[in-house]
This record gives sequence, C-alpha cells and structure tokens, in this order.
Amino acid sequence: MLLSPGMENLALLAQIAVKSSTAVLLAAYGEIITERSGVLNLGLEGMLLIGALAGFATGAATGDAATALGAAALAGAAAAFIHAFFAVSLGADQVLSGLSLSLLGAGLTGVLGRDLLGAPGLVLGAVPVPVLAHIPVLGQAVFTQPVLTYLALLLAPLLWWVLAHTRTGLLVRACGENASAAYATGVPIGLVRYACTCFGGALAGLGGAFLSLSYTPGWREGMSAGQGWIAIAMVLFATWRPLRALLGGLLFGALTAAQFSFQTESAQWLPVWVLRAAPYLLTIAVLVLVQSNARLRRYSGPPANLGRFFRRES
Amino acid sequence: MMGLRFVLRPRHTSAPVRAAVSLFFALALAGLLGSLVFALAGASPAAAWRAMAEGALGSGYSLGEVLLKTAPLTLTGLAVALCCRLNLWNVGAEGQFVCGALAACFVGLFVSPGLPPFWGLPAALIAGAVGGAAWAFLPGLLKARLGVSEILTTLLLNYVAALFMEHLYYGPWRDPEGMGFPGTVELPQNVWLPMLFPADWGTRAHWGLPLALLLAVGLWLLLERTRWGFRARVLGQSPKAAAYAGFRAARITITALCLSGALAGLAGAGELLGVQHRIQDGLASGFGFAGIIVAFLARLNLLAVPFAAWFLGAILVGADQLQTDLRLPGAVVLALEAALLFGALLGEFLAANRVQIIGRTTKRFEQRHESCDENSGEDNHVA
Amino acid sequence: MTAPTSVSFSAPQTACAESAASTAPLLSCRGLSKRFGGSSSTEGSVLASDNIDLDIHAGSIQALLGENGAGKSTLMSMLSGWLMPDSGAMYLHGTPLALGSPALAMRAGIGMVHQRFSLVEALTGAENLALADGGSVSVRRAEALAAQWGLVLDARRRVAEMSMGERQRLEILKLLSRDARILILDEPTSVLAPAEIAGLCETLRRLADQGRAIVLITHKLAEIADSADEVSVLRRGRMIARNIPRDPQLSTGWDMAELSRLMVGRDLSQTAPPPRQTGGEPVLSVRGLTGQGEPPAFSAANFDVARGEIFAIVGVAGNGQEDLAAVLGGVVSPAQGEITILGGRPDRAGFRSLVAYVPEDRHGTATVAELSLAENMLLSTTGSRGAIFSRGAGKRAAKAAIEALNVAATGPQTKARELSGGNLQKFILARELSKAAPLFVVEQPTQGLDVFAVSEVHAAIREAADTAAVVLVTGDPAEALALAGRVAVLYRGRVIGVVQADAPEAFERIGRLMAGLDGAGTTNLGHPKNGQPQLGQSESSTMGELK
Repeated sequence: MLLSPGMENLALLAQIAVKSSTAVLLAAYGEIITERSGVLNLGLEGMLLIGALAGFATGAATGDAATALGAAALAGAAAAFIHAFFAVSLGADQVLSGLSLSLLGAGLTGVLGRDLLGAPGLVLGAVPVPVLAHIPVLGQAVFTQPVLTYLALLLAPLLWWVLAHTRTGLLVRACGENASAAYATGVPIGLVRYACTCFGGALAGLGGAFLSLSYTPGWREGMSAGQGWIAIAMVLFATWRPLRALLGGLLFGALTAAQFSFQTESAQWLPVWVLRAAPYLLTIAVLVLVQSNARLRRYSGPPANLGRFFRRES
Repeated sequence: MMGLRFVLRPRHTSAPVRAAVSLFFALALAGLLGSLVFALAGASPAAAWRAMAEGALGSGYSLGEVLLKTAPLTLTGLAVALCCRLNLWNVGAEGQFVCGALAACFVGLFVSPGLPPFWGLPAALIAGAVGGAAWAFLPGLLKARLGVSEILTTLLLNYVAALFMEHLYYGPWRDPEGMGFPGTVELPQNVWLPMLFPADWGTRAHWGLPLALLLAVGLWLLLERTRWGFRARVLGQSPKAAAYAGFRAARITITALCLSGALAGLAGAGELLGVQHRIQDGLASGFGFAGIIVAFLARLNLLAVPFAAWFLGAILVGADQLQTDLRLPGAVVLALEAALLFGALLGEFLAANRVQIIGRTTKRFEQRHESCDENSGEDNHVA
Repeated sequence: MTAPTSVSFSAPQTACAESAASTAPLLSCRGLSKRFGGSSSTEGSVLASDNIDLDIHAGSIQALLGENGAGKSTLMSMLSGWLMPDSGAMYLHGTPLALGSPALAMRAGIGMVHQRFSLVEALTGAENLALADGGSVSVRRAEALAAQWGLVLDARRRVAEMSMGERQRLEILKLLSRDARILILDEPTSVLAPAEIAGLCETLRRLADQGRAIVLITHKLAEIADSADEVSVLRRGRMIARNIPRDPQLSTGWDMAELSRLMVGRDLSQTAPPPRQTGGEPVLSVRGLTGQGEPPAFSAANFDVARGEIFAIVGVAGNGQEDLAAVLGGVVSPAQGEITILGGRPDRAGFRSLVAYVPEDRHGTATVAELSLAENMLLSTTGSRGAIFSRGAGKRAAKAAIEALNVAATGPQTKARELSGGNLQKFILARELSKAAPLFVVEQPTQGLDVFAVSEVHAAIREAADTAAVVLVTGDPAEALALAGRVAVLYRGRVIGVVQADAPEAFERIGRLMAGLDGAGTTNLGHPKNGQPQLGQSESSTMGELK
C-alpha cells in the first residue's frame, strides 16, 4: 500500500517504538510480579545479560528458537533464584543482594561470552501477523514484530487478569501487602516469593534473549546497556500495575524512537540527552506524585511489605 | 526432608566477631567463585590469583596504582557508609561523582582563568563537593518531606547525570581538536592535583589520597564527636529515641544526603583533577557502585573505609593485570565484586543467626556464640 | 503473689462450670504454661501463663477477664495455635490436641480474632475471605455468606476503607466460613463505639445458640455483662476463678464489684504512706486536652498538678494513657486543648527544659541500645554548649547519674543494652531527675522489674516529688496508690473518675472504674452524661459521653 512519506515515517517510528520497548517490558513485568510478592530485585541488568547470552549461545548451538528461548528463561530464573535465596531465606539486605546479582550477571556473561563476540547466531526476525499486518501504519507498528514483542504486548492484560482475578494472583498480592496475615491463613510465604522471583527472572531472561536474538542480533558485552535500570524505573512509573507498564513501555519506546528521529533530522527542539533522560525524570515525577497524594499513596504506592524479610515466629 | 523445619534464632555477637565472620566468608566465597570463573574462562585459577597479586602488589608502579584507586573508593565508600549509618541508602554515588567532576571541570575550564593561579585548584575541589551535594539534595528533600524512597531517586538520577555528562563532552564542551575522541579540552595545569611522589618514582598517585584520608578522619570526628553527628547516629539507630529527644529528622536526613553527595562529588573531582584531567568516556567507571562494596566490607565503620577501599583497589588493579597477562575479559572483576558481596552477606547472616534444623528429635547445626542473652528479652509486655 | 481467693457469690457454684448448654467442655486445657524471654528464671523472663486450667463450652459465651499482664491473650493465643505452650495439655472433645500454627488450629475449628486484625488492607473483603477459606474470589459468595450469618459488610470494599466494626465482622466471617466451632475474640469492644457493641453481642448470641463456643477476652466488665454466660478471671498469669456461671437472681448476672476485685487483686500492703498534697504552687494545668487520631485516643482531659504532689493516671493499656503521656511529655502535640506549665504555654524547646519525661519504652525510646550511658545522657540533657560536645561533661553527668541511684553499671562507657531492665530504668530516672525540671512525667516505670528494683524506682519518684510536680501514668492501681495522692482513671480516653488515695476502699473503687463500672460498681451503659469529674472530689460516677 502506498503511503505518503510522512505516514511511512510514522509507521516506521511506531514500529521502532514498539520494538524497542520489548526487552524493558518483559523485564518490567517480571519485576512487577516479584515486587508484588514483596521482594525487591535490583538485579534486572544482570538477568537481562544472562538471558541474552544463554539465548544467543543456545540458539547458535541448536538453531532452534524454542530451545534458545527456553534456555534464556531458565538461565534468568536460575540467576533470580540466587537472589531469592539471599532475600527470602537468609533475610539479607535486598538492595545489596540485587546489586550483587547485577554485578554477577555482568561479570559472568563478560567472561563466558568472550568467545561468542561477533559470532553469528540465530536471528528471530519479525513475524507478520496474517491479514492484520496489512493495516496501514498499525499493521507495521504492531503486527509486524518479532515473537517476543507479541509476548510483551499480550502479557500485560494476561498478568493483570491473573493478579486481579485468580487465586494465584491473590496469594501473590497478599504476600506483598501483609505477609503475616497471609501466613495466618496458611499461605506459604517463602514458596510464593521464591516462585515470583524466579518467574521475574525468567521473564528478564526472555527480555535479554530478545536483545541478542531479535533487537541487535549477536552478543556484545554489556549489551543490555542500562535497560535493566529502565525496567526498574518502569515498574515504579507503572505503580506496580502491568497495564500501566505497557503504557509506560510504549511511552518510553516512543521517546527512544523520537531520539532516532531527532538524530536523523537536523531540527532539534529538545536536546537528545533530555529525551534519553526523560524516562528517569518522568519516573521521579510519578514517584513524587504518588507520595504527595494520600489517596494515591494508599492505592498506587508500593506493596506494603516490599523488601521486608518475613520471619516465622517460633 | 518432610517434617524438617529451619528455624532461625537470632543471637547477639559482638561487633568484632561479626566483622571477622563476615569478612572471612566474603573472602572465602570470592576465592571460591573467583576460581570457578577463572576456570570457566579457561585460565588456571592458581595462575590467575598469582597474576592478580603481582599486578596489585608486584611493583612500585602497581602499588601506586592501587593508591590511585584508593582515593576515590575511600570517598565514595565514606559517602555510602555515612548514609547507611542513618538507615538511608545512597545508591546514587555514581551520579554525584559525575556531577562533582562536571562542576570541577566547569570551574577549571571557565572560571579559573579569571582567578589567581593558586586558587584554581581549591575552587575546583570546592565546586566538586558542591556539585555532588546539589545532586543529592533532591533525593534528600523528597525523602525527608514526602517519604519518597531515596534508593529509587538516587538510582534514577545516576542515569540522568551520566546522560548529561555525555551530552556535555560530546557537545558544548567538546574539544574541537579532539581528533575524533569525544572529550573536553584538557584542564589547565594549575587546576591539576599535584603528584604525591616525585615523577621519577613512576607512580601517578596524587594528593587526592591524603585528602581522602583526612576526610575519613574528619567524618569520623563529625559523627562521633559533634552534636550533629550524635543526632544523626541516634536517628539512624532509633527514630523513636530521636523523636523523644526532639531531633528534627527531616533536617538531619537532608544534611546527611548532601554531605554524602559532597563526598562522592569530591571523588569525581579528584578523579578528574588528579588522573584524567579532562572529561571523557570512562570517567565514572563504577566508583559509585564500588563505594557500596567498600562501605559494606568496612561494615560501615568510617575509619575502616580506607582499608576496605585499598583492598578493593588492589583487586581492581590486579584484575587489570589479568587482562594483560591472561587475556581475561575485564568483566571478571565484576564477578569478583559480586562474590565478595554475596560472601559478606552470607557471613553477616551466619554471624547473626543460629540455624537449627528441627527434625523429629534433636537439633543439629548449632554453632557456638557469645551471647548477652541475660539482658535481652526483658520487659515483655504480656497482654 | 496472692493465692487465688475463694469466691463468695450469692448463688452456690462449683469450680467447674455447669452451663445450660452442655456439661462436657468442647475445648479445654490443663496445666498450660508459657514463659517469655529466656529459658531460665533469671530476671527478665516473664511467666505469662502459670499452670492454667480452663474449660470452654459449646453454646456458651465466656468472658475471660483480666488486667494488663494477666496473660489473657497469651493463653488464648496458645489455644488458637498462635503460640506454642511450654508445658501442659489441650483437649478437643476430650482428645489431646497439638497445634503447630494458626492454620492447623483453623482446621481443628478454633479461630481467633486479634485486637489488631489480621487482614490485608489493600485487598477487598471478598479477597480476604477467599484467602482465608481457600475458595475463589467471589463477591456474590461473600455477600451470601455474610447474609447467612447476619453480618453487615460490603465485600467489594477494600479493608483499608472499612470501619473498625466492619473489619471485625469480616474477621468473624473469615472464621465462620471455615466453620469455626470455637471463636475467640481479643478485646472486641475496644475498637467499637458503644453503640456498635450491642450489634456484636447480638451476633455472638446467635452464634452461641447454634452450638458454637465463644470466648471474649476483655477487661471491660460493663460491656460484657449483658452478653456473657460464664466468666473466668486471670490475674498475673494465674487462673483465679474459673467458669463462673451467670446468677439468674442478679440483674447484672454477677456481682460486678466482686469480679473487679478479683481482677485487680487484694490491696497489697503499702510500703509507705503516700505524700499528701502540700498545696504548693500549681505547676501543670491541663484544659480540654484532646489527642490526635480519629477518634482521638483521649479527649477532654482537665486536671491540675501542684509542686510536691504525685498525680496518678491509671488505665488498662489501650484506653489512651500512652498518648496522653506522650503529649504531657512534649513528644507529640495535642489536637486540641492547652497545657500550661508554671503559668506559661511552652513551645517544643520549652517542653524539653520544663518537663522531665520517662517514657514506657526504656530500650527503644528512652535510650539508644548501642550508645554508651554517657551519650544516652545527651538524649534529654544538654550536656554542654556548642557543636562539639564535651565527652567529659557527658561522662561526668553519667557518672553522677549512676551514683545517684546506684545503677549497677561498670561505668559511663557501658552500652545501654548491657544494663538490666531495672538498672536501665534507674539510669533513666537519674538522668531525668538531674534536669531538675518542674514537671516530672513518668510512664509505666516498674514494668518487668523485680521487687527490689521496684522499691528503688518508687523511692526515686518520691524524691522527685520533693521539688517537682509528678504525673505517674501506670496500669497498676496498687502502684498508683502506693505513690500518689490522687488517682485519675482513664477509660476509653476519658477521665471517668478521680479517687483520693486515702479514701475508703480506694483500691476497689479504682478497680471498678478501670473496668468501666462506676465507683459504686454498677454499670451505667447507655446513660451518656456530660460533665467531668471535678478536682478534689473523691469520686465521680459519670461515664461521660463515650464516643
């Protein structure tokens, strides 16, 4: 279909926006589940890298997409398990443990991935959705994307539904809001928190796999380039809600696309660095907004037991 | 394993015992995991550790390099430790470091030419402290007034600072004769931090180190001997007691964060004025985060921070050697840092808890402890 | 400790209850004991439950009475799986019972509603219910359940938005949805407005009539008089009177005065006559003082205290005296009303120099555990001027404090956490005494202390009264009478009576007021009267407006 250059440009930018938000969204969804259960995991950067390397290496070795993605998810979950052990079982400081995990991920992948630098591997390109991909603009933006991007778009309503309307979601929320009350009704706090943390790790692993298999195929040291931290910002921006995270992700993705656009065009009515800093600044603004309004603080604030160690009374 | 339960019983160990146990496990785990990583990377662990030791302590130059790293690590370690003593988390030392460097650069490039030559350096250093403090002010204010988590705000601001710095040295402050390498013009010599030792000793260690050590002592005095430090310590240990005593938590919080930011900012200024002499890629290189490790290894004891900083500095310099000698990727040092931290966390846990596995009959796993049990658990309010 | 007294009632009764509903108990315990704070009987460990026997009968509402520290909540927590007993046995339907957790107890049909509810505030009522009974989240099911039991609550609302009464109903619904046969409620009326109490009693009556067993833990005699079938009384961890049935010949069911006497115990022999009001200059003057909170923790407090006088404020924990003490001590500002000290209204800084405040929490608030005694002195005294404080001055002051009250500490460098409770309290008192402030506010000073330490603390308080006005906030009426000239009783945040220490039967009167009865021992529910007790009168019999 012939489009005017402006529209084509818009479609391309939209496609970039959606695509570039995928890794962050997947990691953010995972962290939302983790934090809703009461565990603060700042190791997203490390888990993204671990997932990226695992996915890439497995993909290069087997050539099979499913195995590669499975390996990435597994690797991410295993990394998260370490943090869960320290945070949930040992009651260690969750900030320190999460930061350690980030460092560990960066260090391990840097060492293990050395031989894979620049090597060719599996590439998971865009998979157009039949029929829908032909819609003007939207077809290119939303329906011509890699598989993991579709996952990122679909997970938002799915996770929202699970959290709000299933018993599993109820258990998760109860653990995060009032672990002792939940314990009194027989909820296994440790198990739920471990499961949620590992689930978060698995999603972050998938996010990393997206980077090395679809976004910028190949392996480079430190290729997550801070997207783990943006994902954490996203969780706060979305006030721990999956649907808001999707919006936030698309917004942040749009900012990324705008950066592209600015760099190609000469007109710049906003310095590029402000655009790149915008996600962080916007998140701070949201934090301030939530805390300064009593009603918002009550309903959009962090889970009441976030980061707190639950110790069973003897 | 059915029917087995893990029960944690807290115990009172004295501070030196906890420190020793924590340190032991930090080193043990670092040794274990480090060896594993070396092996995975295809190097013999023994050779790797030897290379590290040589790289860190093997020559006068390397000793000087360790000293070079000790200064900024001390300062960022102090910054984090100070906040942790008040139960605040400053994860933003990285960003405050950058802002301090930027402020010092600003003074060095644009202000100092108008000043008498002697004043250039002090002005730049003061600017560095102010720059770092300013960057920490907003998180402090938001925490004190609105209760916004300082972990999150300081963390987020790191990235804003990094992006701003990149913008500056790629853009307005770029050296037009940089020959393709983005960065600012080199700072005038009068703003440089002078070397500690004569040039023919072959080391780059500069006066930033004595300054950092002085500040460690000064900060210790501030915390232990002044009225403000007393209030801060009380607030950190017991907010209820602080309220009882009429201390103003908000003011203390903001001051502490600004002070912390100033220290990190000085670290940045020092790195700029003493080592790099221009703002360019790789200025920050993780000193802010490393400060967290330093603070934790020093167990928040301000006078122990320089030692912990030296230790981490040795590891960092030794790891550089690994890159050249054994061609291991630089990332290996990150894995070592992670292992140190995890080990310290594990040690902390073991020192503070007695783990009992309650099976059907007896308890195993009991470790001996020095306890002050007689004086605990009193005044139980029984309803 | 006094031995359990034999109870004389107008109707014959036996030690074991014979309730109308059944004779064999549904749940019972024998010899249940629990000690807190260490496995030895060194100073500091508390025997919360001492060899307790109790029967709980189906179809009956039993009130478990007792004052602070009686051990009511501990006992019931053991019976409902929240705590493990050290020794003793429990029986359900006659078969031995071992409970490892609240969830296990729930499976056995025993549920407890705590004073501070165990609800997840961010979730809705229906969600909390689903959490408890393992079913799906369904508003319709929750509403049907609520209707079935006659409980009014909006299951769609988040718990954070529910009133206290509604939350309580939700907690009860949680228990009923698991078919709890035995429901235990801890101080259920303390979160309710008096108008809501009738509704609760109605509900409980209905449940009991269906054959369930209800246990109400309370210290508020007046409020349960109409609803209870039998009464047991705990004092200092011991069962004083067990399963006393209602006497049909008494309108209130029991001799209330007698019950309150059982609760507070016999008047212990006084060690020294309390000082009389010397008629010194008025130091503290309080008018219309109302605390923060919605509803306020305490309201409309009016009293004067003169130099040389010890004025006691007595009440069971939770009736507002913690908040009142904090306001008098200058730590919290009141929502309304005035405090006048020596004729002036001090600001925050003024409070610190005019008031010496010894709070209840000696480890967490009055001192900082990890700091030395020398530094702890500086929490409320100025030590020295200027930014650099003189450690020498702190050390000297600490030394003086240690010597003044004979604190067993190795020196000013000792950390606060190394001191035993009694010595720490003496240190704090010495610190506050050294301020020589005109007003001395001391809160629960002898909690958890041994007899010797208690007498030393009392001596220090009397010494303080030589030069200052002293306000003593305590939950122990015997202590109040041993020290004070006048004793005010706080109930539901209001001063409902002021008793002269030398009045006849002062102890009994105070006991009755603390239980919500009037001085004469009659209940005055539903007769709201305005007016406050006037100073100098020996007693008052109004309950005021209880809101």
